[in-house]
Amino acid sequence: MPTSRPQPATFGETLRARGAGDLLTLLDARPDLATPAPSTIRSLGARATSRTSVERAVAHLDRCTLDVLEAVLVLGGTRPEDAGTSPDAVVAAVLGTRPAPDDAAAVRSAVADAGARLLVWESAADGAVRGAPGLEEVLGPHPAGLGPTGPAPTGPVGDLLADAPPGAREILAALTWGPPVGVTPRADPGLRAASDWLVAHRLLVPTDARYVVLPRGVGLALREGRTHRDARPRPPRAGGATVSSETRDAEAAGAALESVRLVGALLALWGESPTPVLRSGGLGVRDLRRLARELGTDEGAAASVAELALAAGLVADDGDDPPSFAPTTAADDWLDLDTTARWAALAASWATSARTPWSVGGRDERGTLRAALDPELSRPWVPRLRAAVLAVLAEQPETAPDDEGVLDVLRWRTPRTPPPTAAVAGLLAEAALLGVTGAGALAPTGRALLDDGSREPAHEAVLAPAGPGRVRALAEELGRILPPAVDEVLLQGDLTGIVPGRPSDALATLLDACADVESRGSALTVRFGAPSVTRALGAGRSADELLAALGAHSPVGVPQPLEYLVRDAARRHGSLRVGSASSYLRTEDPALVAGLAQDPALHHLGLFAVAPTVLAAHAPAAELRAALRARGLEPTVEGPGGQVLHAEQSATRLAGRPRPAWLGGGPVRRTRSLRPDPRAASVTAGPSEDPERRRARLAELADRLVAADAGAPAEPAERPAGTRALAPGSTGSSAAGSPPRRPAATHGDGAGWDLPPGGTTEPADSLALLREAIDGQRHVLLEIVGARGTPETRRVRPLRLDAGRLRALDTARDAELTVAVHRIASVRPA
Amino acid sequence: MPDGPLIVQSDKTLLLEVDHPRAAEARRAIAPFAELERAPEHVHTYRLTPLGLWNARAAGHDAEQVVAALMDFSRYPVPHALLVDVAETMARYGRLQLVQDPAHGLVLHALDRAVLAEVLKSRRTAGLVGERIGGPGGDSVVVHPSERGHLKQVLVKLGWPAEDLAGYVDGEKHAIALSSETVSTTPDGGEVRKPWSMRPYQEQAVEGFWHGGSGVVVLPCGAGKTIVGAGAMARSGTTTLILVTNTVSARQWRDELLRRTDLSEDEIGEYSGSRKEIRPVTIATYQVLTTRRKGVYTHLELLDARDWGLVLYDEVHLLPAPIFRMTADLQARRRLGLTATLVREDGREDEVFSLIGPKRFDAPWKDIEAQGYIAPADCVEVRLTLTEGDRMTYATAEPEDKYRLAASATGKNRVVERLVAQHPDDQVLVIGQYIDQLEELSAHLDAPLITGATTVRERQRLFDAFRSGEINHLVVSKVANFSIDLPEASVAIQVSGSFGSRQEEAQRLGRIMRPKADGRTAHFYAVVARDTVDQDFAAHRQRFLAEQGYAYRIVDAEDLEPA
Repeated sequence: MPTSRPQPATFGETLRARGAGDLLTLLDARPDLATPAPSTIRSLGARATSRTSVERAVAHLDRCTLDVLEAVLVLGGTRPEDAGTSPDAVVAAVLGTRPAPDDAAAVRSAVADAGARLLVWESAADGAVRGAPGLEEVLGPHPAGLGPTGPAPTGPVGDLLADAPPGAREILAALTWGPPVGVTPRADPGLRAASDWLVAHRLLVPTDARYVVLPRGVGLALREGRTHRDARPRPPRAGGATVSSETRDAEAAGAALESVRLVGALLALWGESPTPVLRSGGLGVRDLRRLARELGTDEGAAASVAELALAAGLVADDGDDPPSFAPTTAADDWLDLDTTARWAALAASWATSARTPWSVGGRDERGTLRAALDPELSRPWVPRLRAAVLAVLAEQPETAPDDEGVLDVLRWRTPRTPPPTAAVAGLLAEAALLGVTGAGALAPTGRALLDDGSREPAHEAVLAPAGPGRVRALAEELGRILPPAVDEVLLQGDLTGIVPGRPSDALATLLDACADVESRGSALTVRFGAPSVTRALGAGRSADELLAALGAHSPVGVPQPLEYLVRDAARRHGSLRVGSASSYLRTEDPALVAGLAQDPALHHLGLFAVAPTVLAAHAPAAELRAALRARGLEPTVEGPGGQVLHAEQSATRLAGRPRPAWLGGGPVRRTRSLRPDPRAASVTAGPSEDPERRRARLAELADRLVAADAGAPAEPAERPAGTRALAPGSTGSSAAGSPPRRPAATHGDGAGWDLPPGGTTEPADSLALLREAIDGQRHVLLEIVGARGTPETRRVRPLRLDAGRLRALDTARDAELTVAVHRIASVRPA
Repeated sequence: MPDGPLIVQSDKTLLLEVDHPRAAEARRAIAPFAELERAPEHVHTYRLTPLGLWNARAAGHDAEQVVAALMDFSRYPVPHALLVDVAETMARYGRLQLVQDPAHGLVLHALDRAVLAEVLKSRRTAGLVGERIGGPGGDSVVVHPSERGHLKQVLVKLGWPAEDLAGYVDGEKHAIALSSETVSTTPDGGEVRKPWSMRPYQEQAVEGFWHGGSGVVVLPCGAGKTIVGAGAMARSGTTTLILVTNTVSARQWRDELLRRTDLSEDEIGEYSGSRKEIRPVTIATYQVLTTRRKGVYTHLELLDARDWGLVLYDEVHLLPAPIFRMTADLQARRRLGLTATLVREDGREDEVFSLIGPKRFDAPWKDIEAQGYIAPADCVEVRLTLTEGDRMTYATAEPEDKYRLAASATGKNRVVERLVAQHPDDQVLVIGQYIDQLEELSAHLDAPLITGATTVRERQRLFDAFRSGEINHLVVSKVANFSIDLPEASVAIQVSGSFGSRQEEAQRLGRIMRPKADGRTAHFYAVVARDTVDQDFAAHRQRFLAEQGYAYRIVDAEDLEPA
């Protein structure tokens, strides 16, 4: 650990001289110093100057403070014997000799802040400011783009340059503002001569045969004492179009309502038919596309909507086999809320969510497509970045900064950890989708999300998790910017209806039930059609109720064409009816039918009249026939076409039983049923497989599939402690030939394996053998299947086994080879 | 403007509340750039389309005006993205210009070289343009004069419509003046002279067209499109080629021109299947132009037979595809399209825009009706419940026969009989699609029948008799859909039609919309078989008229007074 030890006499003394208040500030600004609690100030000092701690402290500093640190380091050094510098000198170095007062104040305050963070220290002895030990290492070899201190040039830089040969000034100019290292020019004799001249006058210092470096002193002289050319001491402002607060609020409100509607639509869709979960845990591309189509959005927005629902706990993986995404019971509670409260619940969950929906559709390092709702799609820094992005927007309430403007500010805030561009754009898009921003500017709804209470260090700030009180406040905030609800719909003769504003909840429900939306926005346009009206009738409304409800909301009455539409639909609705029965009875004699329906002796058959001459029964045909026979009637059995069947053909047979051996045995023949049996598709097995064996077989199958998918065998070490893996059985042999269960080995522990001494073709055993060989640096004989399927045996010393590949050394040929594990047919100890 | 009459939706529809005090003002402000999509009784729907915005640019409006109009009349804040989109779309028009270069002839000139580079990279423009003037970095490119129309079509498709500043050939001069009075003969041989002049909206339409150079005028049936045509001819003062849908229509154009202008019979020629006259003003039918023999358009030379100064297209929404192709070669001549509706069942509105020209004038039907220039109309859908027998036949029929069966249900005869009886003093037209049905009706009502098989002479005779009141009832097939001028017809009964054609419905209503001498209301009945595809098609057919503000009443056939 290259920690430079603090000089007790000076740095340590300064630290020790700090009061408890200063120490608190320090510990608050650098929380890592407090955990675990240091026992002494000395150990605190040691920790504060350790590379890791300094790196952490520097990582979240803004541009101005970093510039100051560089300037202090360059001008003042870190050790007591270094020259030291003063805040005024720092201001002059960073800003030049005639700085704007505000800029100078910002730099001074940055010096003070760096002091509070113990990144620079002021010596009590000479009052000079120096950098904290360890800082030099973290800021790198060329702070502010200046080279190392070197031998003094042969004279004042200005004088020397007056006699410089052609090309020398150009060489220096190229190195002045960094990087200070250059390649010695070789090809051009003129430049070569200039470079040699510069080296001879110690204006450049060769580091080796090829490179030269501009010494710090010369660099500063060329920069006329400045350390920074274009310092930005104060944060930039994210520029952008000006947005009126009315437009901003109206668009935020519109987006908020739309997001609530989309999540509601998603819940309805998935409530009706849950959507399958990918094996890796996300939503498949095709399912996402279908969702986007049903929601009428693009795929990106659909992914964001699904993620919103997931973050709010409204949908979840049901864990069934096969698993699907379906609404949770929380969704019902959510649906019971009114619109503003629904939105508040979504917004509050979004505020603390670590999900990254913007990466959906991209590919990860392994080239796998990132799926929406994939559990892997969380990143711990997302809440912090979200807070930072909203904070940037909050500075300019009526401005809509573009992505680049926001990024610019964030890059200034933390130049050493710049935020990912895609994440900032993604968060802004999500904010717009949710109505946290309107027309690109932070809306009051978004401001309500920002926590105005205790300020943590800026880089640590996250949005506070929302309790019921905050959720209520959010809902109220949305309520304030929502346009007033309209309870009227203008019904027109062309079978459209227009709500000239935001429909009230009651009106929205009514129109949702009986009309199709044509256009949404500040107003709502709907069209009535036979299918939409029939839908409302199917949901239990009568034509009169529907017309009355529409009439009550319409200031202009119900136009006649609409009335006809509803009445005509009602007349047709219900004229076709479906029910279920097992058998039926028909005759030409209505009196007989009436008698049978009333007969108490036939009560158990569940007879009911469908028409004057037709009875349906819940009992199957055979039972019906038997019961009627017992009543002394002699019914004839008929087939689907009405043809008379002989009684024998309807005799009972059991289906779905195993065939006896004398019939040749064999798999079960299943009868058809209306509901397809999901198990019917599974692998058929012998007739008498016991449950445990079946589980073992399925587990093995699953392991094998997973391993094949990941390109590597299941990694035993990844299993949670206490579970036991099952050794893979032979795939070719029948169930009876599969080996008994064996405990699996963990990585590096071959003892658990009872390894075949003569080598193995079992994949898991092969891997264990290989690991052992790696650990023991032993040779093995490896049988590899080549690209054309021909096996080849080589004697190798395995070196490394991971990611589905074996790296091994072929000592005979003195070559290294890498083999995919699935190409290894067998392994034998050599 | 917290309670303006306009609601601007983010999907680019504009909702205009008609009863609002500022509605008329708002309508005037948005009419230049928004397309009227629906005009039912309470809220009219307009739509912002690229074509509409470019039309506005062509007429000299800029994005600032559009944005100001939207913000001024909007009840709610206008979506920000929409305003940005309007500005961007409008800025696309005219970045490319077609101009005459003194050295290179017709060139495509770019005000923005990046745009020129973009369109030249497209494969669609390959072959339409020649070499770039001033090397690869030049801002103009030579255009083959024959490809002027194709290039404009392609540029609209690419989203960079060109402003056509290349001008028009003057054409052969031929003075035409509008007459100041009309002369008609009374039955007893006397002459009645009536002074007339163009109505204000007709003058606006002519002005709009002339100012723009080429384009389309949209006016309801019966609003005097022929007079707008005559006005344009007088304004042009050149030889004119008039393209119309059929021979009867050609004769009506001719009669109307004789009445409204100082043209003599010798100056007007008819170029149709039966006659091939080429005169200073020539009226040709679409059919004769699209006649092909051995794959060659035999009458194509008509287009170049004279140096036409003006080409007039009647019923532009019916313009057949081959005429579009021929029109692409006529880009140097002034073109005026006339139509009652820009709705094309084939959706080729953008070709009308690029080849004939932008819309230059449009007025909602109801507005013109309110001004008293077309007769008010009462539209009624009579729903007939089929008899049990018919229902069974219908239910078991092959799908392709269903419409025919439902549309020509026998029960309709009785309904027509009752409707005719309700209007004893009116001139009644019965219009249908199927000849056998019409023959039956003709016999039933004892009224003459006109079909495609009727000779032109016979048709003319019957129409004249109908006009003079000798005959009160006429049964007609679809030959009477267009351009038949029957001013006194005040009742139309439609028994069947071409499936769900919206423009056919509008045309048929147009037959009875000439203002009546006594200001009577016209009646339009559509007899429809309930619960069949006939009803579905009827609903589709009525959409255009319903959108134009004609609300259909529905009446059950059983409720009609027995004859």
